[in-house]
Amino acid sequence: MASVFTGAPPQGGPGYSFKQTPTVALSGERQHSFYPYTDNGGSTLGISGADFTILAGDTRSTHGYNINTRYAPKLFKIGGEGPENKGSRIVLSVVGFAADGDALKERLDTIVKMYKYQHGKSITVAACAQRLSHILYNKRFFPYYVHAILGGIDEDGKGALYSYDPVGSYEREQCRAAGAAASLIMPFLDNQVNLKNQYEPGSGTGHDLQAKLAQPLPRKDVEDLVRDAFTSAVERHIEVGDGLQMMIITKDGIEETFTPLKKD
Amino acid sequence: MTSIGTGYDLSNSVFSPDGRNFQVEYAVKAVENGGTAVGIRCKDGIVLALEKLVTSKLLKPGANKRIATVDRNIGVVSSGLLPDGRHFVSRARDEAAQWRQLYKAPIPTSALANRMGSYVQAYTLYSSVRPFGVTAIIGGWDSEAELPVDGQVGSGPKVGAGGKKDGAKHSGPSLYMIEPSGLYWGYYGAATGKGRQIAKSELEKLNLADGQLSLEEGVKEAARIIYVAHDDNKDKEFELELTWISSLDGPTKGRHEEVPKELKEEAERLAKKALEGEDDDEEEEKMEE
Amino acid sequence: MNHFPQAWGRPRDDVYGSYDHSHFQTNGPNQHTQSPIVTGTSVVAAKFKDGVVIAADNLASYGSLARFTDVKRLRKFNDQVVVGFGGDVSDMQYLDRLLLSLDIRENYSSTENPLNAKNLHTYLAKVMYKRRSDFNPLWNHLLIAGLDGEDKPFLASADLLGTTFSSPTLATGFGGHLAQPILRKLLPDEASVERVSEEQAVEVVKECMKVLFYRDARSMDKYSIAVIKKDGVELKEDEKLENQSWAFAERIRGYGTQTA
Repeated sequence: MASVFTGAPPQGGPGYSFKQTPTVALSGERQHSFYPYTDNGGSTLGISGADFTILAGDTRSTHGYNINTRYAPKLFKIGGEGPENKGSRIVLSVVGFAADGDALKERLDTIVKMYKYQHGKSITVAACAQRLSHILYNKRFFPYYVHAILGGIDEDGKGALYSYDPVGSYEREQCRAAGAAASLIMPFLDNQVNLKNQYEPGSGTGHDLQAKLAQPLPRKDVEDLVRDAFTSAVERHIEVGDGLQMMIITKDGIEETFTPLKKD
Repeated sequence: MTSIGTGYDLSNSVFSPDGRNFQVEYAVKAVENGGTAVGIRCKDGIVLALEKLVTSKLLKPGANKRIATVDRNIGVVSSGLLPDGRHFVSRARDEAAQWRQLYKAPIPTSALANRMGSYVQAYTLYSSVRPFGVTAIIGGWDSEAELPVDGQVGSGPKVGAGGKKDGAKHSGPSLYMIEPSGLYWGYYGAATGKGRQIAKSELEKLNLADGQLSLEEGVKEAARIIYVAHDDNKDKEFELELTWISSLDGPTKGRHEEVPKELKEEAERLAKKALEGEDDDEEEEKMEE
Repeated sequence: MNHFPQAWGRPRDDVYGSYDHSHFQTNGPNQHTQSPIVTGTSVVAAKFKDGVVIAADNLASYGSLARFTDVKRLRKFNDQVVVGFGGDVSDMQYLDRLLLSLDIRENYSSTENPLNAKNLHTYLAKVMYKRRSDFNPLWNHLLIAGLDGEDKPFLASADLLGTTFSSPTLATGFGGHLAQPILRKLLPDEASVERVSEEQAVEVVKECMKVLFYRDARSMDKYSIAVIKKDGVELKEDEKLENQSWAFAERIRGYGTQTA
């Protein structure tokens, strides 16, 4: 809150008791000293499987070295019925500037709900994903300062996962980590999910080495990977911790779990 | 109405040769068909009462309230065309909100009556509009407390320049009635609508100018007057609507509120009893004959 | 004296110099609030099993000057919610008027189902976010205390950026550094709220106000404290810090005339 309580007397205005009072109007551009963004820390992560998608995020919200709260969800159900989003099959995770994240969630949620009222059917993840991209891109000159990950089940019943940059560039992926500890978690995922740098034993040396082929992982393994990723991130990153919220999307609905993380 | 058909009643804002604005007079006729509305200025508050004629059995009892609040401390009840009454209230609320924005304090009831009088009067001036088909009763309690400036910082000097004047108050209950012409007066007791003649004669009996009637008595009298003024032969069903405004240390704490259920039921019971008493008297008189 | 109407009633140029027109700046970019001017410091609040306690001192500072010493920074809304304001005082007054007009309009439609703390927080958060998005922020950090739709204790925050969060204990400004650790010792998580009584909560909040007075140079020892429960708000605006102990100050070395 340093910016709120600078304690400095008003600056830049004309001070009439002094001789050096400017007698001409200030000209040229002035810099705004108000910066409309902040970083609320935290990390998110999504992994898609053969018939499910898992999204996860820690629940710590920070402001500088301060912890705002130990429970601020970064995962949001999108669509479904009412304020509880009953029957929803799409989850949005946002990390970065939390106020923008909430605003983005609110917009996507109403759009998805309106879609059902207007068309009489639930939106597909693919359509929802593209719509989200458009929302972000439309505000590219004053972006929503968030890294979004959208998860759901596609029309073939396969796990679907889309990741975004703040101005709407997006792609479908097997897995993605975002936020403060993204650089810690992503290489771990590359190795464990996409089996990067893993080779078939005994396939030879040098160019003969055969890379292991990535297969969709079973749900149990993915849940364990997510928990490991976060417990590790908590050790090395101060903005990550307190609790782990997970949402598992299957054709039957969304299961939500909460696991405590270290609070230090 | 000898002048009907002479053409002077066809346009608003046009006088007839004998100096009348017929459109305004027709608007008054519209008011005369509405349910009776009564306002009483008591020594420690204001009572507003309305005979709400039930136009359909399909309407939910107790819903669709007709006495409206303006700001927090003012009540408005009207008789005549319902939608005109709604528009009147909406304007009054805008005036109150605007006053607050400008002066950072609630609008005095007298000022609201003045502004609404001007507003209603403006609708008699142009051929493109028609006058309001309502007569409205505005009742309010102007706070006796020292008003905190909205969102004030600190309390300011206790006395002297920039401070407060000891004991200075412009507070208390006030009651106004605005007619379709825009004419308004302050009243001790006001009545309009179908039963206004009976209601007025009942109000006169209360000697309101003496300033003795208490708020609670006023509530009971208001209920009784509505029952007395009601014409059983023409309209069968009606609902009684009762609101009141007291001082800050009274039961409503300076706000305009509905009269609590218990007191309202008691007032209605007494009103019905008083009516029965009347009927008995009449019967007795007949017996004697 | 000359014949130009615009000069009438103004100090004479030959005696006082020409009038400084610079603050009538008509060209150049539109400017919004760049920094707060008159400010209030921390607001602290804690939930307990039947409600919420919230406190803030009665000081409004102008830079380092203790400018106003009887400012009410806790504002009541419809007898069920209390909003605590940190940051710019004029913006607080604007918000106070906004809330007043909101309350008047709310009572027009129906007095049943009045706005609760949760509703009010949503509303205020949207106001704050809208203003930051217009690059014209309301320079405040607000705590909203009361009950939610299910009559459970509700405490949440909204700041000049539109950021919102909720926690069993909250503190703005310096309180974030000094009060939160004390409050969190009593109320580490949501489950602990059930085990804390009103007396305990009031005590720990008062303790926090004391620590803040010891260490925050923009604070004072007169404060307001409110307890919000199901049966309404109890707001005291003229409290004085009790049982102060400045013994610790003697051990502080290295300031003023002291040497090592």
